[in-house]
Amino acid sequence: MKAIKPQVGHQVGRSLPRLEAREKVTGRAEYTHLMQLPGMLQAKILRSTVAHGRIKSINTTDAKKIPGVFGVYTGDDIRTVIPDPYYGPAFHDQPILAIGKVHFVGEPVAAVLAADPHIAEQATQRIIAEYEELPAIFDEVEAAENKVLVHEELKPAGTFADLKHLKGRKGTNIALDFRLRRGDVDKGFASAAHVFEHTFRTQKVLHLALEPYASIADYREDGVTIYSGAQSPSFVRTEIARLLSWPENRVRVKVPYLGGGYGGKLYIKMEALAVALSMLARRPVKVALTMEEQFYTITKHPSTFRIKSGIDKDGKIIARKCEVWWNGGAYADVGPRLTQKSGFTASGPYDIDNVSIDSYALYTNLTPAGALRGFGIPQLVWAYESHTDMIARALKRDPVDFRKQNLLHDGRPQATGTILKNAAIEKVLDRIAERLNWKKPFDRGQGVVRRGRGLAVALKAVISPTTSVAVVNIAADGSATLYCGTVDMGQGSDTAMAQMVGEVLDMPAESVRVVPRDTDVTPYDMGTLGSRSLFHMGHAVRLAAEEARDKIAALRRELGEPEGSNAPLGDLFRKKYGMQAGNIVGTGIYKPDYIPPDSSGLTTNATPFWMVAGSGVELEVDTETGHVRITRLINVADVGKPINPKIVETQLSGASLMQLGFSMFEKMHVDGGQITNASLADYKIPAIHDVPPVMENMTVDAVQDNGPFGAKGVGELATFGVSPAIANAIDDAIGVRLTELPMTAEAVLRGLYVKDNRPLGDD
Amino acid sequence: LTPFDLVEPASLKEAIALIDPDDPDVRPIAGGTALMLMMKAGVFRPTRLVSLRRLRNGLGQITSTMDGELKIGAMTPLTAIEHSSEVKRAAPVIARTMRRLANVRVRNVATIGGALAHADPHMDLPPVLIALGASVSIAGISSERSMTVEDLLTGYYETALAKNELITELRIPTQGNSQAVYFKVTAGSVDDWPALGLAAAIVSEGDTVRSVRLVVSAATSKPMRLTAAERALNGQIANEVHLKRVADIAAEEADIIADIRGSASYKRELLRVFTARAVRAAMEPRGAPH
Repeated sequence: MKAIKPQVGHQVGRSLPRLEAREKVTGRAEYTHLMQLPGMLQAKILRSTVAHGRIKSINTTDAKKIPGVFGVYTGDDIRTVIPDPYYGPAFHDQPILAIGKVHFVGEPVAAVLAADPHIAEQATQRIIAEYEELPAIFDEVEAAENKVLVHEELKPAGTFADLKHLKGRKGTNIALDFRLRRGDVDKGFASAAHVFEHTFRTQKVLHLALEPYASIADYREDGVTIYSGAQSPSFVRTEIARLLSWPENRVRVKVPYLGGGYGGKLYIKMEALAVALSMLARRPVKVALTMEEQFYTITKHPSTFRIKSGIDKDGKIIARKCEVWWNGGAYADVGPRLTQKSGFTASGPYDIDNVSIDSYALYTNLTPAGALRGFGIPQLVWAYESHTDMIARALKRDPVDFRKQNLLHDGRPQATGTILKNAAIEKVLDRIAERLNWKKPFDRGQGVVRRGRGLAVALKAVISPTTSVAVVNIAADGSATLYCGTVDMGQGSDTAMAQMVGEVLDMPAESVRVVPRDTDVTPYDMGTLGSRSLFHMGHAVRLAAEEARDKIAALRRELGEPEGSNAPLGDLFRKKYGMQAGNIVGTGIYKPDYIPPDSSGLTTNATPFWMVAGSGVELEVDTETGHVRITRLINVADVGKPINPKIVETQLSGASLMQLGFSMFEKMHVDGGQITNASLADYKIPAIHDVPPVMENMTVDAVQDNGPFGAKGVGELATFGVSPAIANAIDDAIGVRLTELPMTAEAVLRGLYVKDNRPLGDD
Repeated sequence: LTPFDLVEPASLKEAIALIDPDDPDVRPIAGGTALMLMMKAGVFRPTRLVSLRRLRNGLGQITSTMDGELKIGAMTPLTAIEHSSEVKRAAPVIARTMRRLANVRVRNVATIGGALAHADPHMDLPPVLIALGASVSIAGISSERSMTVEDLLTGYYETALAKNELITELRIPTQGNSQAVYFKVTAGSVDDWPALGLAAAIVSEGDTVRSVRLVVSAATSKPMRLTAAERALNGQIANEVHLKRVADIAAEEADIIADIRGSASYKRELLRVFTARAVRAAMEPRGAPH
């Protein structure tokens, strides 16, 4: 911070280096995983070895005998301190430790506490758990047939009004069914000149933050303090207070920096277990997972998407039917939300009169699935942008022209009926096409190596309605401090928020102190998720800073300062209070308007803003091996007016590379419910050699009219178009269409062999 | 990790004496890059580790003889081999292989002796060393012996070493006119373990193969010579028609295993393709890039 010369004048629009960068690269930043408290015990977890089973017995006798073991605890022990130990944002279905049954391989069954984590780990090996195995279900489409049931009864949390009707429902794995009906899709198909139907699938992958899940709980009679790598500290406070039947003010959640989140660290992860164990042990307890244990915590949703489109003789899409099955794993987490919210835009960024969408959240006997950078949208775009390209090619239409003919424009109703506004879809598409020199001839390669190019565009509605609160506090020397609950997990939000405070108060962003997240100090925020923070918290921060600015102006007037006086703030405080004393506090609360969808999934206000982005790809295929080399990756987004252009660019590149891994090779291999590659030795994420040699990350000229300083969120955007752009480019290169992720070299070669009528064997 | 004894003997003799051949929980540790992962995963829980760290003075040298034989002490870190001018001169394929072997942090710590004793079939150096005809010196409690790397590696994580034997030196014979290549073929991330490794060392005259060693790894349970393919190549003109035949023979003879990195049928296709590519590359005029 000292090395940077503070810049006065406009703060919004500056490519200010991240405020915390120096602290992080010099190893000074604090992370939960590394924190220690006096007297702290460490927990290690015994996990289920079966995918679905009744717990016959858990014998902890031998484990307790190991010297250094403080205690060994099961679900029954948890119940002595928390009688109803089930948690979750949408459903109260997840027990802190398994009770009665286990529902996936890796589910926590018992926990050992010891001062030495190695002793605790050793002791977990001495616990003997016996199960009566039950039939298990892993596939989302099969789960919908309800032949094997994961849970006997649905237990919606009641927080969300639109889930209430599911309470007590029995005999089903469907945790939510969202339906949208617009126009008459059957009539549309009947009058169509061409009808196309395809099915697309995505695989199970995970967030794999480089800081694994970690929480510390310090329970006292009068309150509990939780230190956690959490993306939603306010939710943790509310949910822990509910579990303990305490008022919220006895639960304090402190969040240092996060070593990555990506949606995994939302809601409750290790916090409830840490609290329960601290209650039992009466000592501070840390639950810090290994890298390998992340595979048993939360993942992205695998999905199956059957999509059908009717096209009239002029090439206009007149009907689209979407059926999406989301593999939610053993506990709902936020899956039902994802199922509904992503359902809003399952038909894509196109102007279609007749739309039918069915989106199902399914329970299966796998690691639970939740939010992962895109909240379901990357799975949907994978399907609808592959499908759209396939239609264009079948109709011998240029893929860009076909899209442009059908694109949704501002002022037109989207599938939900909400009128599109500030959604620069066509600008994004045009920019990608321009960067790809789409209209110019393209070198298609020769011999073994063939080249292709492809693109995709997408639309997302932000999760709504959600609330953010911020406080700006001006000290008596005129320095400003921001209190807000947005968690900086590497996305640079602290820097962007400081820039907004600086803009309003006319001071360098570097001089604004952003207080670390602490629910005793920082006010409510729904959570750092779904690219909502810059918009929602940005507004709250702006409002708080504006209120402070207005109060400063009022003070100037009160003190008889002439209009337009620029007397230093510190002088005003001294004049008012006779010494350096006092504060000016501004608060801001922001909650956008929202109208829930009716029984047909329609609403005139589905979202406060639309997210728009797309990708373009050039690649080479080795036709002898199936290896795909992406030579150029272009990501274009509409972020309104960027608050910090450099951070926007790095968010776009980071998101697209994350999705590149999900597109090309990442996959949790599951065999009978067992994950067979649950380690970084066998599950690879993109590394430097996987990065395309040419990457372009850019925004289009746009303004979000209702956004703070014309801006909107960016974190997820570049995940949307990557997978289908690659699939479309592979088809362009070699005429092979992949409909399942990941697009491995083997999948490509198999496709080539099928095309040559000599399919590869299955061994 | 659970607590264990760590002993650091100063001599080879002492080190061998400290290893109890009847106790599987006592093992030698060199760089530890593989062993530590096994310990972290709980696959191996030692009661005692015999660190070979202090043997590096005696067993950490790279020397070459007048006639071009290369001798590498077993405790030499991979990085030292990667950057050794002797190695670059005598067997440049080794230096090239290192560039994509794990990462620089692993190469700084892992040793050549440890890499061979570990016998993970996915490792990059064993197929290369077999292609080069390398052998190892092995010290036991009262005897020394020597064997080829090919004979050393007997199976999936299995070697011909007795529990209380240690590799002391790697010897790579003079390569003469032989030209060697190695292809690390990954199926997912570029940084993944290979789905297939293929090494070739060829002495050629124009288009004619005078002698050849072809070694497949990663797709098989241990690195293996493709002897039938070698026979089909020896003394023959390696034109495209013949190379296709040789590739088919290689794919036929190798015992390929399916795993998360690919099906056996896919890896067989990779073997076919890279057999031809490796032979072609090893017959390119000297200095040509590949």
